[in-house]
Amino acid sequence: MIDQFRSELLKIRSTRTTLGLLLTMIALVLLFALLGGLLTKASGLDEAGEQRDQLGIGGIATIFAALAGVLVVTSEYRFGTIRPTFVFTPRRWRVVGAKLVASMAAGLVLAAVAIGLTWLIGVAIFAGRGISLEVDTGDVLLIVLGGFVASALWGAIGAGLGAILHNQVASVIALLVWVFVLENVLFGFVPSVGRFGPGHAGDAVSGMTGDHLLPAAAAGGILLAWAAALGLAGLVLTARRDVN
Amino acid sequence: MAPVVVAEALTKRFGKLTAVEDLSFSLEPGTITGFLGPNGAGKTTTLRMLLGLARPTTGRALVFDRQYAQLDGPARRVGAVLEATDFHPGRSGRNHLLILSRAAGLHDSRVDEVMGLVELTGAAKRRVKGYSLGMRQRLGLAAALLGEPELLILDEPANGLDPEGVRWLRDFLRAYAAEGRTVFVSSHVLAEVAQTVDQVLIINRGRLVVESPLTELTARVGGAVRVRTPRQDDLAATLRAEGLEPTEAADGALLVPGTARERIGDLAFAAGIPVHELATEGASLEEVFLELTADAADAAEADA
Repeated sequence: MIDQFRSELLKIRSTRTTLGLLLTMIALVLLFALLGGLLTKASGLDEAGEQRDQLGIGGIATIFAALAGVLVVTSEYRFGTIRPTFVFTPRRWRVVGAKLVASMAAGLVLAAVAIGLTWLIGVAIFAGRGISLEVDTGDVLLIVLGGFVASALWGAIGAGLGAILHNQVASVIALLVWVFVLENVLFGFVPSVGRFGPGHAGDAVSGMTGDHLLPAAAAGGILLAWAAALGLAGLVLTARRDVN
Repeated sequence: MAPVVVAEALTKRFGKLTAVEDLSFSLEPGTITGFLGPNGAGKTTTLRMLLGLARPTTGRALVFDRQYAQLDGPARRVGAVLEATDFHPGRSGRNHLLILSRAAGLHDSRVDEVMGLVELTGAAKRRVKGYSLGMRQRLGLAAALLGEPELLILDEPANGLDPEGVRWLRDFLRAYAAEGRTVFVSSHVLAEVAQTVDQVLIINRGRLVVESPLTELTARVGGAVRVRTPRQDDLAATLRAEGLEPTEAADGALLVPGTARERIGDLAFAAGIPVHELATEGASLEEVFLELTADAADAAEADA
């Protein structure tokens, strides 16, 4: 299992796809953090709630973690490397299990970069503009730790989705359509149900507050349940299906 | 010794299509077996069942007395090359191998050894995108050799190799089997493997058509190779030393039954004997192969 995990980590590190994902995320974090921090009037940034939004931009890591997770599984099917992978490790649950854990690790790295960058820029901008930091320690912990937890679990959700669908394009589309369209529609019309979706649970875990969102701890449990369910489904389906 | 591979009434259906039907065979240790048949005969499907990638509809495929997925440390027992395209184009050849060797719990240094073995050391750090088809075949072979397996399973390994590459592969496989290890190599071209294999399995439309030692198959051919040389006695002696039985034709040429033209040419060349004429008389191995697979095809059509 450790051997398989090392193998999966090297798979992630040894192509430029991962680097591309990381750089795209960094570009978006820079864009949003700088725009929000510099263009918002000082009067719009002196309250805790607004500062939390500014400092929560790193939450964008979750979607990149999910994409990384999807790619960890589906690029093997896309390029056919799944065949040698399974010939070397025919007990497929080991492969899928290692991919789930490796995707969580990738999520943690992405979260570290996104959250670190967001805070660096945010705090620097507040200091430069003479705005005092109003966010209390509990919120800081929630945004940072919650952001890590959400990204790790979203990494597993992406890998689980990939292990269910196997097809790269279908998995990426399914992920984006769910996160950006379906779940928002659901939350918009039936928030009492929509808040249990992985997207809104992820938001709640990483310190966002808003009408209808679950409390962070409960949302963490819900997100974990999503990751476990998708991971398990991916495990079972991958173990049962033939590899062409 | 126990057989290395056993197929017991292997059958694989995809919906209404039967890709492999009631296929049984076994492979003895230390042998090279050619797995032959036209494209679409069910060779690849059979190999995937042996390797646990596809589940048989009925029947069993055993490797070292177990289903593949039940083997402990499978990479140390079985090496396989399935498709020459199974690489991430953006990954270096060396990283491709490191990924697999780590999964198998092997030492990283083994990667550099196998890269040297297949003569890819110079291209180790290049991305596979820039590899020729022949280099990809060799990289696939390097991956199969990582765990120093006792059994090699190769699906159409000669595809994309130039003649020099084919000869390199042939010599490699012979040396490999000479160490008591077993090779199972598929091909849709008999000539590619005729000089390498000890026995052949021929399948067509998913069914076994022939299972026999190569010598038996060539005997079945009935044809002979006609060879003319100014040093007839020397060549006859050389051929006898190889267990062949040359006879003299009316016009003074030698007729050698039960072998391939290529082999005679190679032997004469190795002995430094000039050859002025070299031709196959009667049916060639290739013709017999085509005939066997065509018969089965007709029979299958008659059944339908």
